[in-house]
Amino acid sequence: MASSETEPPPAHPSPKARRRTSALIAAFVALQFLIPLTYLTREDTADERFTWRSLSAPTAPSCETSASLERFDGQHEAISPEKLIHQDWVGYVSQGRRAVVDAFLRKQCEADGVLQVELVNRCDDERGTREYNLRCGGERAHETVRTATR
Amino acid sequence: MKPLERYWFGDVALARPYLLLRFVLALLAFDTWLNMMPQGAKYGVGAFNVAHFPWFDTFIPSSAFYLGVLAFTGVLALSQALYRPHRIAIVLVAAGYTLGWSCSLLDSVPYHYLLTLYLVCFVFFPMLSARAAFSRSDRAPRGSIAPYVLFCVTTAIVYFYVAAWAAAEGQSYWLPMACCAAYLIASMQDRAELPALRMAAPVLMAAPVAFHLFAPQQGWLPIYMIGIAFVVFMPTPWIHSVGRTLTQPARSLVEGRSEEDGTDERAAQVFYMSLVGLVVAPMVSMFVDMPGVKTGCTLTAIAMLFVMGRQLYFTPRWRPVWRVASLFGGCLALWITVTTSTARFDYYREGALDADRRGDHDAAMMFREKADRYAP
Repeated sequence: MASSETEPPPAHPSPKARRRTSALIAAFVALQFLIPLTYLTREDTADERFTWRSLSAPTAPSCETSASLERFDGQHEAISPEKLIHQDWVGYVSQGRRAVVDAFLRKQCEADGVLQVELVNRCDDERGTREYNLRCGGERAHETVRTATR
Repeated sequence: MKPLERYWFGDVALARPYLLLRFVLALLAFDTWLNMMPQGAKYGVGAFNVAHFPWFDTFIPSSAFYLGVLAFTGVLALSQALYRPHRIAIVLVAAGYTLGWSCSLLDSVPYHYLLTLYLVCFVFFPMLSARAAFSRSDRAPRGSIAPYVLFCVTTAIVYFYVAAWAAAEGQSYWLPMACCAAYLIASMQDRAELPALRMAAPVLMAAPVAFHLFAPQQGWLPIYMIGIAFVVFMPTPWIHSVGRTLTQPARSLVEGRSEEDGTDERAAQVFYMSLVGLVVAPMVSMFVDMPGVKTGCTLTAIAMLFVMGRQLYFTPRWRPVWRVASLFGGCLALWITVTTSTARFDYYREGALDADRRGDHDAAMMFREKADRYAP
């Protein structure tokens, strides 16, 4: 029967292995220190991912959301985000998470004959009313976002 | 060695990385099945998605994709916790788990990112057997395990930032800062040249335990962190004897089997048994009745085949059979967990509610039928 001595503890690393491991460790630790600091440069302050600002889900209050699109023939049409995407996405849109708002507007631009899409978030707090307007144009991928706080 | 090198490459009781790896992998498996799978119905709705990283944005994960990834990750993670882990398998668990949360902002649970960092550390852990970590009864085996120290430092960095942001907002920060310091100190407690730390480290456990009992947190984070704190801070003789007790059945089973070297006529027998096991194990997932799970479990079996590689045919030992048995254990645990909990019901109920809200009556009816069938 094999004894425990056939599986010795991991050997102490050689100086060369130590140097290599130290470089990897330094890179991994530096990354972990730097990633949370990117929060300070983020345009969207509601985006707290990878920052350890909170260990629970962020609970930004939602706002009243309305959206509409304008077709090439000048016709305006109200759209209901609740009918198009999952409720969780609607929550992100109404909280004004920029990445989700932009993606939602771009998605509406994918429909035929859409000139521009507008989304308005009316909040009761200091965020006020925010309007997001994406002009699709002929190329659809073109994006312009205008945020206005009143 | 320089002082910094002494910090990273000093001795650690092997019981700690051994138990840490298995504890986190096992908990992660049940966490994915019980807490993440019920959220699966959100994915792919309206062909809309925003990923955590821009390079993923064009990809819209479907419900089946998400559940498949979670089934794959969970089964592979549990199989690695049940039997001696393999580095390739840990890489696959890390990749699968990270893919699971990063493919959509729908999963913005902060600790899922932390678990990815932990899994990256685990990839470099020594893949210890129970015998290597616990067999020497007179004293706990020790070794230089820098990835374990990195694991502790990773945890300390999280607490550091929790404290720093709290301080920036004028809130109390001393408890998370104490946790940060405690992890930096506890990572050195097994070193013979620092006997005073052995006395202090167990006392320091109070900080993380108190923090996770009282601070608001999401999901199973407190369970992970309190469990991790026990493994990291417990005195060496205690952790060694806990580990010895837990691994006693596994060690006696392995030591009871013959371990002779060289190939013998039993190799073919083991090969066929393993192969049959690899085919049969994913079939358990047929009874789970959730989209993508069958594919996920089949991919786990393929991953296991890849992990075993040449070992499947060329080893005369029972190792391939144990690996396949651990895969079986993972698939069975998935089936039992999903069928005895409300995870499956929650998945279908949430799907029905959302489809109703969007006016998609066909989908709502399909989800509702299943929800009624699996109602507790």
